Amino acid sequence: MALFIYGTATNTGKGFFTAEDRRNFFLRGYPGNVWVVGNTEKGALWLAEKNGVEKTKAEAQAIVNAEVTAAQAAWDALPEEQKNRPGSNQRPTAITLP
Amino acid sequence: MTTYKEIFGKYVKNYSSDPTADIEGQIWYNSTSGTFKTNLAGAAAWASGGNLGTARYLLAGCGIQTAGLAFTGYTTTNQSATEEYDGSAWTAGGNIGTARRALAGAGTQTAGLGFGGYTTANSAATEEYDGSAWTVGGNLGTARIYLAGCGTQTAGLGFGGLTTVNLSATEEYDGSAWTTGGSLNTARRSLAGCGLQTVALAFGGFITGSSNATEEYDGSAWTAGGNLGTARRALAGAGTQTAGLGFGGTTGTVTAATEEYDGTSWTTSTSMATARRNLAGAGTQTAGLGFGGFTTTQVNNTEEYTDPSFSTKTITTS
Repeated sequence: MALFIYGTATNTGKGFFTAEDRRNFFLRGYPGNVWVVGNTEKGALWLAEKNGVEKTKAEAQAIVNAEVTAAQAAWDALPEEQKNRPGSNQRPTAITLP
Repeated sequence: MTTYKEIFGKYVKNYSSDPTADIEGQIWYNSTSGTFKTNLAGAAAWASGGNLGTARYLLAGCGIQTAGLAFTGYTTTNQSATEEYDGSAWTAGGNIGTARRALAGAGTQTAGLGFGGYTTANSAATEEYDGSAWTVGGNLGTARIYLAGCGTQTAGLGFGGLTTVNLSATEEYDGSAWTTGGSLNTARRSLAGCGLQTVALAFGGFITGSSNATEEYDGSAWTAGGNLGTARRALAGAGTQTAGLGFGGTTGTVTAATEEYDGTSWTTSTSMATARRNLAGAGTQTAGLGFGGFTTTQVNNTEEYTDPSFSTKTITTS
């Protein structure tokens, strides 16, 4: 059985995930409203209750990749002076889902 | 049948409501719910909080988990917006006078302090919040960005940061003017801080790479503390010198890592749900608050950290 469930859901704020949820199952958020949830009964129930849309791992990774690519393009478009300024943001790096 | 008293020499106490959880393993009977209960060691966790009205990063924060303050920051422009948190939702406060990013914050929701940062140049500006409006305070001696701060509105501390080089300089605020304090042993920027003016903690940051260095301030000098487990920069801090909390940031890749400091060493705790950098923090080691920041874009998400000493559990036979 797969370790994780992948899906998209909008973080609505308070109560979207609780401390108890975090203690009960694996939960991580990623760009593009992608959530990786422990593949347990409680994890699956959480995603369903949040009106989440379940994705395959490849689909979820593609959503994250698109977000990273867009962020990298935005960074690449910055003036060189701004990129080279001390303390400026680094170019966003790839994110690999677990 | 053997009774509890025969085994342990004590009766089980009868309460109509759960007592304060302060003894691990304590057992009692709750006459209202008709259940036996016990205290187990608590497990730390981050939970979602209310979303900021304005998604942003490079913002500053102060206050506590149920009375937090978020101000300034960056979207595609410098921000002046202030938001107040009540433990469940953010509402708009008074705008800061000088829109900026990469500043430091200190104090409380009703007595906040914002200083330094970047406008179109490094800023020395200090502003004081009274719960509804910002007023101008005394300027920092050294205009700087990516500094850290802690303390209160009338006893603030600013340290580290960047001019065109990393800084070690510390400044102390008395409610109207900044004066020079003892310098950090390691000049750095994008560090985090917590504590008070005379018992402060500085940790993480960027030297020529991400730093794990921790330093403790006694009101006049910084001395080395235990290293962070995860060297990082652009992280957030909360708590005190002997009960500190460090979370988020970047190692080159954004991180959700959370660590607790006990005055000597850092211990890894449970991670935030969403890894991010350039976020703001507030609160304590047992009731922390992380908000805003940058993943691949600015975010408005808030997370609330709780690390209960104990959690109350109902005893069942299953």
